[in-house]
This record gives sequence, structure tokens and C-alpha cells, in this order.
Amino acid sequence: MLHLLGVNLPDQKVVSVALTYFYGIGPQTARKICSRLSFHRECKLSELTEGQLNQLSGVLSEMTIENDLKRQVSANVQHLRQIGTYVGKRHAMGLPVHGQKTRNNARTAKLLNGKMLRRYSTASTTAFAMFNSPVSSKLQ
Amino acid sequence: DRTQSTAFTKKESGSGDKKLRSGTSTSVNLASANPQYYAATPRVMLQTLNADTANSAHINKFMQINDAFLESIGKGHFPGYLATDFKLFGQAALLYRSLTQQLVDQLSEYSKTAAPKKATVIDGKNGAGKSAELMKLASVASSSGHIVIYAHSTFPWVNSSRPYAPANEGDLYVQHELTMELLRTVLSLSKDALKKVPLGKSVALGKKSLAADKTLADLVEFGIHTPSLAHDALEHLLAIASTQTQVPVLIALDNVNTLWCNTLYRDQEDVILPANRLRLVRTFLPFFEGKAALAKGWAVGATSYIDTRFMPKDLRLKLNPPVMVPITNPDVASDPN
Repeated sequence: MLHLLGVNLPDQKVVSVALTYFYGIGPQTARKICSRLSFHRECKLSELTEGQLNQLSGVLSEMTIENDLKRQVSANVQHLRQIGTYVGKRHAMGLPVHGQKTRNNARTAKLLNGKMLRRYSTASTTAFAMFNSPVSSKLQ
Repeated sequence: DRTQSTAFTKKESGSGDKKLRSGTSTSVNLASANPQYYAATPRVMLQTLNADTANSAHINKFMQINDAFLESIGKGHFPGYLATDFKLFGQAALLYRSLTQQLVDQLSEYSKTAAPKKATVIDGKNGAGKSAELMKLASVASSSGHIVIYAHSTFPWVNSSRPYAPANEGDLYVQHELTMELLRTVLSLSKDALKKVPLGKSVALGKKSLAADKTLADLVEFGIHTPSLAHDALEHLLAIASTQTQVPVLIALDNVNTLWCNTLYRDQEDVILPANRLRLVRTFLPFFEGKAALAKGWAVGATSYIDTRFMPKDLRLKLNPPVMVPITNPDVASDPN
């Protein structure tokens, strides 16, 4: 296993597949990284030289991935909540955000939405606080 | 005794026999095997195809491909469907056809007189025998003292399975490993022929230069031992070999359609690379586009429709004149299967 930027990557995997193990890198981004560094399609991680690994680390360091990306997404959701948007409220209530039905289903949203708010919860970001916010008092 | 019997043939995958869960070995020891169930594969004694046996007396006869030739291209790297055929036969043997005799006659004619200005491309349907004919031609040329530059498959040049890198200058991309392997094949097929041709002038390769009295064999060996200069060595080899008339040259490329296709490689902006952006392909393109010719010898290619990703739609326009009649194999034409 190769340890790169805090992530354990399987040695025997093709580079473009192994890069998808990073949070924030999917198949397209992985392919673009390989093209930029001139790694052929069937190149495996174990075949890379030290210089190539350093180049790869350099490219990955320039990108926002892993914890930096998670922090950024969390901050975006919190910002939406703090300015009192509809999307922010839906995150706070743990309900679907994109207009889906809630009569049934919505299980994923109920499980996952608002996790970022709960992780960094303050009085203004909880569901209870939503009903006591200045915006909700005006609606009432 | 059937305790060592097996119902399948295990693929060769490294050392040691893999044991089944029951603890029974998967390999068969013929020395102790039950003769009622196992027999050694019969081996048919065939003549080896070389310059002496390649004549009209052996038309429609099976002939064994030279072992040295097979070693040079690497056993298990046979072009097209030949790997399956050789496994079925139990040995690397091909039928010596009348078409093969025509190609051999043409080869010997071009080794004595001036080479044609245009390359020859063998085209035909899948399974017609294009790769087989090219392999036989290369085998005969190798045994008759030609300088043989034979690529049994050019798919690895374009299918992004081998390393590549941008060249130091220009917009080309280099493939050092592939070029080194090609040079190794050239050396193993025609070492004696390469030793007969002196460089004629001092050749500079990187920081080193080869003296004029050195031979093409020294040039090829230098390219093999210095992968970063393999491309330069190959280009010098072709430049010198194509202009000399001492030893005839055969350039034989299978899957020649890949020279004009879009590869699976991408540049640094993630744009698909056409084949002519690869330095290895660019080296051979002039011989198949009529822009360069051999002083003595022949450039032959064979198309392949196995992987249509590398078959450009306008291939027939690239070939001038276009293919008039596809070569058909009369032996298989009568077989409805």
C-alpha cells in the first residue's frame, strides 16, 4: 500500500483508478491528472518512479481534496443556514433539499442531510434554533 | 490411478503448482500418468521455413517457423489469431501458400534491383492470413541476410499500454521502452546483416558519438543500452539503412493502420493524440506515405480489423492507389464456416 497525502492507495491498481480513492477525485479528474503527468492508461502505482510520485504529490497538493474539501462543503452548507436560505433550513431539518417528495422515501436525506451542521453545531444552526430565528418569527 | 487426474489445463502463472482444495495437484506427471487417459502430444516433423526451403516445391505444405525467429519476437506475442492456431497445432507452423511464394519472389527481386518507391500494404478480411504472410516473409528475409525491421503488432504503440512522455523539443511524444524493444527485435533478427553495414559517418547520439567505422549493429546495441536515446538510434538506423545498397532491408509492420489512427494517449491538456504525434510512428510514416523510400529492400505492411478503434475510416484514402481488390484466401473462401 502506498501512503500518499494521508490516504492509503493500493499499489497494484491502475493509477487512474487508485486516484479515485481520494475524496474529491472521480474518474474524470483522475484521467486528467494522468494525462497532465503523461501516465499511460495501464500504468500501475507500483510502476511509478520516485520522481513521478513527487510530481503526483505536487499536483494533488494544488487541488482541494480530502479534509480541505470536506471543510469547504461544510462551510458552504453552514453559510446557507446562517443567511437563512430555504436550502439551509432543509439541511437543518434533515430533509431533501432539491425539491423531492417527502410523503414517502427521502430516507437518504433524512440520514445524511444536516450531518455537516450537526458536526459543527451552534445554536443558530440546529433545527430548534430555526424556529426561534428572526426569519422564522417574521414568517409566523 | 486417477488421483492425479485433472479435467482442465492450468494456465502457466509463475512457479509452483496450485493445489486444489482437496489437496490434489493440478499438473499431470506424464511419467506416472495412466496411459489409458493421457498421451504425449504428437509432434509432426516439419521443415523449417528459411531462405532455402522457401520455394515453389513447398507450396501447400506446412512449414515450421524458425525457433530463433519466434524467440526474437517473443513467444506468446503472436499477431492476430496465430496464438490460438499455434496452440491448436501444438507447434508454430504455417501453410506455405502460392501467395507466400509470390511475396518471397517479390522480396528477392527487390533485394537485387531498386526498391519500389511505394510501400506495399496487405489488406483483407479478418482471418484471411495477412499477419501470417507477413510473419513468413519476415522469417524468410531474416534467414536470407536482410536487415529486418519487423513489428509483429503496432497496437501497443497506440493503445496507451506502454509508457510515454513528451519529447524535450517539439510537440512529439516519445516511447523509449517500445523503441528499445523494437531495436532488440531488429538486432536478434538481423545481427549478422547489421554488422556488414558501416555507419559511413560519425553519428552523434546525445553526448556520445559513434565513429564512422562502427557498424549498424553497434548503433542498435547503443540504442538498446541507452533507452533515452533509443529513438535517435532508430532514426539513424533507418536513415543509414534506407540509403545503403549493400544489404537489402525489409520493413514489415503488422497492424499498419495504426499509423494513421487516433491513439488512446492524451496530451497534457487531456486531448486525444493522433498517431503522428508519436515519434515512433513518425519514424515509419514516410515509408508508408511515399515520402521516403528504401534504396534496396521493401516496406510491407498488413492491416488488421481486430480492433476497429485503430482503423481510421479514411484509411483507403491514405493508401495511394487505394486497395482495388481485397486479397482473399482461396483456401478459406470455399469453407462456409
